[in-house]
Order: sequence, then structure tokens, then C-alpha cells
Amino acid sequence: MNPRLAFSLALASLWHRRRVLTLVCLTLTLSVSLLLGIQYLRTEVRQSFTSTISGTDLIVGARSGQLNLLLYTVFHIGDATNNIRWSTFEKLREDPRIDWLIPISLGDSYRGYRVVATDRNFLEHFRYGQEQPVTLADGEWFSDVFHVVLGAGVARELQHQTGEEVTLSHGGGRTSFSNHEDTPFRITGILEATGTPVDQAVYISLEGMEAMHVGWESGVAIPGRTLTPEKARGMTFAPEAITAAYVGLRNPILTFRLQRALNQSAEEPLSAILPGVALSELWRLMGQFEKALLGITGFVVITSLVGLVAVLLTLQTQRAHEIAVLRATGASTGLVASLHVIECLALALVSCLMAMVVGAALLAGIAPWLLDTYGISLTLRPLNRTEWALLATVPAAAALVGLVPAFGTWRRTRTQGLGEITGQ
Amino acid sequence: MTSLTETTGPLTDPLPALTTRGLGFRWEPSQPMLRFPDLDIPRGEHLFLQGASGSGKSTLLSLLSGMQIPHSGTVSILDTELQRLASSARDRFRADHIGVIFQQFNLVPYLSALANVTLPCRLSPRRRQNTRSDPEKDATELLKLLAIPEDHWQRKVTRLSIGQQQRIAAARALIGAPGIILADEPTSALDTDNRDRFLDLLLGLANERGSSVVFVSHDRGLSSHFHHQIHLGGAS
Repeated sequence: MNPRLAFSLALASLWHRRRVLTLVCLTLTLSVSLLLGIQYLRTEVRQSFTSTISGTDLIVGARSGQLNLLLYTVFHIGDATNNIRWSTFEKLREDPRIDWLIPISLGDSYRGYRVVATDRNFLEHFRYGQEQPVTLADGEWFSDVFHVVLGAGVARELQHQTGEEVTLSHGGGRTSFSNHEDTPFRITGILEATGTPVDQAVYISLEGMEAMHVGWESGVAIPGRTLTPEKARGMTFAPEAITAAYVGLRNPILTFRLQRALNQSAEEPLSAILPGVALSELWRLMGQFEKALLGITGFVVITSLVGLVAVLLTLQTQRAHEIAVLRATGASTGLVASLHVIECLALALVSCLMAMVVGAALLAGIAPWLLDTYGISLTLRPLNRTEWALLATVPAAAALVGLVPAFGTWRRTRTQGLGEITGQ
Repeated sequence: MTSLTETTGPLTDPLPALTTRGLGFRWEPSQPMLRFPDLDIPRGEHLFLQGASGSGKSTLLSLLSGMQIPHSGTVSILDTELQRLASSARDRFRADHIGVIFQQFNLVPYLSALANVTLPCRLSPRRRQNTRSDPEKDATELLKLLAIPEDHWQRKVTRLSIGQQQRIAAARALIGAPGIILADEPTSALDTDNRDRFLDLLLGLANERGSSVVFVSHDRGLSSHFHHQIHLGGAS
């Protein structure tokens, strides 16, 4: 057999049948794009997911499971089981092992977005991604009781500007019937987009949280007992409890020791979690879903390959004459059969190449829109080893399915007479 | 060009181009055995094989080309006994020593006229050497001699007329001077003018190259162009 001749014949044959094969190639391209795209997004989303929070050594909250604590503090999903006492927080402040603390107090919402009561430490010490700090896109961090800073997603979605006044709602939910109407907040700043849940929340001071709940002790506003901004100005508010705290240590080696100490705290039942560990456990849970998705996409590729074989088998009858000619001219059964495998392989390679181009173009096209609309940042990067390996399975599988028509041709041409048309 | 009659003395060569002895073949075990008369064709001489359909003309060609192995008897082409070769060796032997022309659908549809003609030289180093290692040049010469216009050479062969396709097939059979050319009713799709012209060109160029032509046809009128004539009866 002459590989060079086989290749040039196979390529000429593909070009000759390009009209039919373009469709097959397109199907394969789309399915490979899907496969590659999902694998790519998996990696990217995982990357962006695991970099939701960084630089924080421990998250401390009331006793609960680590996933629950992670979900309600970092992702604003679900509710806190309990609060931690302010006195406990103050004690942590005095702990020499602790470098900084970010208090987090949750419970209210603004048109569906969580209200996070915190302090200036959030701006100074909170980090996400590759140790990136949160910065203000516009205005400044809150300095007054009734100041609010909006996450980038909230400001974009609700078209808010700094200087506007907003009314926060009591409790969670998109449509709340009990609003803190007496204590409107003024927007002093809007945060830069981070592509994390930080974008999907609004930030007020702990004092602000306390101030708007004066008169709400029973769960609803008692008329006459709530504050007005004017009355509140002269007062000082000390929170009785907060929901959780982000902890940064002076020496991260002490993380486990402090975690154990907090988990065994005799004064109050606390839970301290390592955000990285909790994040990867959460990802393992969600990983099942994306694995299933990848599996389904794999089947889509297999379906396209089966379609490819179906088309090649149909074309085989058209090729009976040319095979008779090639055999009569002295081409071996092996050469004639190898044409099928080479053609399948070539089609798969072209599809993979086109899939990469389509994928890159699509990604470049939607990345700005995704960042704008959903705050998800996707970057165009070279494929990693796993993605290359996944891509390589496509031509390998194609060559394998090419063996089906190849074997048929080989079997028939072995017993063919001179000029005899087989395969019909 | 040389005149073409059966009396034209080809390059006399004492070696036989084609010898068969006691050939018998059947496609299915249930069928009666087809038996063929013994053939002895010296190199450079041509054989006319005539017979009704079903008389086993195509089967004989399959045996002569080594695509099929006889159930009895022997086929020797250029002193090589074909059934002694393994099937891949027979394929190589066919590429080296045998040119083939069919009744129709002679060409690989996705190759140009020129690429179809040079195909045997790509399958066989020997045929390539016989063109003094320049198959393109030899092919263009043959195409010129066979009156294929130059602007058709790179054209898709499916867009050429039947007569042109048959002449391109003849050029492919002739290139690299194989010892023997098997032609299976190559003129049956042509009109009378084209038929005579085709036969003249084929035999003339075969004589120049010293190739023996085995020409199968049901058209008895052509037999006078050949040194030897054989009539095949029905199955026996």
C-alpha cells in the first residue's frame, strides 16, 4: 500500500463529494463545538467559582454545616440558622492571632438583592479571584448610617446612580410587603464588577442595619416607634448580634488550630470553616450535574459519528465504479479500504479545527455580553491538556467508525472480478 | 503513425505475453464449470476474443488479470504463473504489467483526466520507470496522440464525452508500457466512426510500446485487426 497515494486519493474524493459531506461535517462541527465548549466552560466556571472568595482564612458563623454557612455568607443563598453574639465578635477582635475581621449581618433585602451590613474592613480586606480587592467604580464607601453602596450587578440591573435614595425591605424575597419606608438610604457608591456574588448585593453599615430596625422588634413596624433619619443622626447603635464574620489571620499556619478552638468554643456554639475546602465540596456536588452534561454532549458527538457512517455507507454504492477501476489498475484491497478510514479521519480533523474556530469566535463574541449581563467573566485561553485529549478522541472515534465501511469494502473487493461492480 | 493491420510486424519477441492451460472456473459451486480454450499469445501480438454474453468473456478477463484464481489450469502472464502469487502480489503484478479498459465508467470521477492517466505510475514504480520517470510528460503525449484537447486535461472527467473518456482510459492502460492490455468491450458505447478511430489508436500505440492487447468484443467485424482470434461458446 502506498500511503501518499491513499491520502491524495482520499482528499480528492472528499473534495469531489464536498456538497454532501459539508452537511455531515457541519453536524460534526456543531457537536464537537458543543463538547469542547462545555468542557471549556466547565473549566472556566470552576475557575471563577473557586475564586469567589480568596484571602479569607476562616468564615465564622453560628453552628451549622459548612455548606450551609458558605452558601448564606458567600453566595447569599438560604438563611442563617442563628446569629453570633456581638460580644463574641468583640472577643475575636482582641484575639492576637487574628489580623482582621469582616462582620457580616444579613436578613434584609432590596428588591430581591441581599442587604449585607458590614464595615469598612470589607472594602479593605475582602479579596476574590487572584487576591483582587473590591474597588469602587463610582462614588465612595458608606460613611453615614443611612448610606448604601450597591454591587455592580444591582446598579446595572436597576439602573441606579449614586445620589439616588432607595428603600430597603424587611426580610428576603423579591417582593416584600414590609418596607423600611421611614428610613430611606442614599446611594453613595457603586462597586466595580467582580463576576462574583459580591455584585449581587447592597452594602450598608452595621449601624444602619440597627437603625432601620428600631421599632421593628416584633417583626413589623410599630408606628411612632421607628426612627427617622433626623432622629437617628444623634444616636449611636451597637449591634447585639451579627450573622457571620470573615477572618484573616496574621499567620495562616494557625488556621486549623483557631478553627478547632472556635468549633469547640464553650461560650457560644460556633462553626468556623475554611472557604476553600467548603467551595471544593460544593463544587463536587455541582460537578455531578456538569459531568452528566458532558456525558450527554458525548452522546451528541457519537450520534453525529453514526450519521457520518450512514452517509459513508450510502456513498459506498456510488463508489462501486471507482473502486472497480482502482482495483483493476492494481490498487490493493487494503488501499481501497483505507480510503474510508482516511476520509473519516480527515472529516473529523476538519470538524475539530472548525469547532475550535467556531468556539473561539463564539466566546470572543459573547464574553463582553456575558460580563455585562451576568457578571460572568470568560477569557479566551489556549486549550488545556484535558481539552486537547477530549478533542483528540473525536478523530480517533471517527477513524474507528470509518472501519465499518472500510471492512465492508475490503470484504467485497477480495472476491471481486475484473470490472465487477460490487456493493450495490 | 504506423498503419494498423494484422500484418504489421510488431516487435518480435520470442517470449510469450500470455499462456493459459486448461482453464476452468465457476463463480458458485452449484454452477457448471466454465472451460476456456488454451491461449498462446507472443509478446506484442494481439488477441481478439469474441463471444455471446454469458460465454465467460468477463470471467476470462478476471482470470487473466489475476482478480480471480482459476479452479483448474494455469494462467501465465509474461512467464509469471499468477496463482502462485499471493493476492497482494497479484495486485502489484497487475499494477506493473497489466493495463485495463472497461466498457464504460473507466475513470476515477474525482481525478482530472491527466491524473487518471498517470494513476498506474503512482501505483507501480515499474510503470513509472518505463515513462523515464516522467509520467506527466508521457501522459500529455498520450493524450495529445489520442486527440484529447489540452484544455480538457485538468477538467473533471465526468464532464467529458464517452468517446473522450474511453480514449483517456486507453491512455491510462498504455502508460508505462505494460506487457498486456485487457480491453473489455471498450468500443461498445461508441459509434462506428469513434469505434474505428479508437481501435486504430489503441493498437497503434500498443504496437509502439510493445504491449499485447486482449480485446473482448461481440462485434465480429473488428476481428481482422488482430493477430489471433478466439470465439468463446456458451457455458459448457
